[in-house]
Amino acid sequence: MKLKLTCKEVTHLLLSAQDRKLPLVERLRIRLHMRICEPCPRFERQVQLMQRASARWRQYSGE
Amino acid sequence: MSDFARQIETLRPALLKYARLQLRNPAWAEDAVSDTVLAALEKPQAFAGQSQLKTWLIGVLKHKLIDQIRRNSRELSTTASDEDGEDLDELLFAADGHWRDAPQDWGDPEHCLRQMDFMRVLEACVDLLPGQQGRLFMMREWLELETDEICKELNISPTNLWVMLHRARLRLRDCLQLNWFSQPQQQTKGAEGHS
Repeated sequence: MKLKLTCKEVTHLLLSAQDRKLPLVERLRIRLHMRICEPCPRFERQVQLMQRASARWRQYSGE
Repeated sequence: MSDFARQIETLRPALLKYARLQLRNPAWAEDAVSDTVLAALEKPQAFAGQSQLKTWLIGVLKHKLIDQIRRNSRELSTTASDEDGEDLDELLFAADGHWRDAPQDWGDPEHCLRQMDFMRVLEACVDLLPGQQGRLFMMREWLELETDEICKELNISPTNLWVMLHRARLRLRDCLQLNWFSQPQQQTKGAEGHS
């Protein structure tokens, strides 16, 4: 198994993590990639923001 | 018309908006909202003691929407699972798997999350998702269904669901980038939209 992931693969995994728990080894590979990549951590923060935005939106729709 | 009925009527457009976002079918949305209003009128006592009429009605609506989805599941599961032939990965990544355009820094999440305008842009972006993607995204994020429940209700495979949710999220990200985060005025606005 190759250890290094491409940005494209990391993106796929980060999005998958929204809907299922990733195996430990995948999470470690992501963390490894994040240490050496500049754009992917920003993508991860964007995904986190969207996740919080959905939660805020659910709340807003009932207000 | 009683006061209670009148109050409910004033909330009908809001209910309809979410029903349409979820079902992507105006007739089904009308049915779900009518069922919601009827259920509320039949059991006004169920509302007693609850803080917010709208919160309560949205809660009832969510159940009626799931009923509608079940009722029409056959049609929904055969809806062309892919209205969008575009390969988003092609647009985002070079052949070697690197970003073509690096994602931008969206800044402090709190900054946009407390602005009502941001919620409106988010809603508009969800509305722009292609039908089936939008439906599945709403089931997951707004109805808060688990992925296995969604697969069961619509009789689709987990892989198919993940592909669609994946695309929906990438599209949503694109839309927010374009319509919010690339708008310089939004970034300097502060929190005046808070309510």
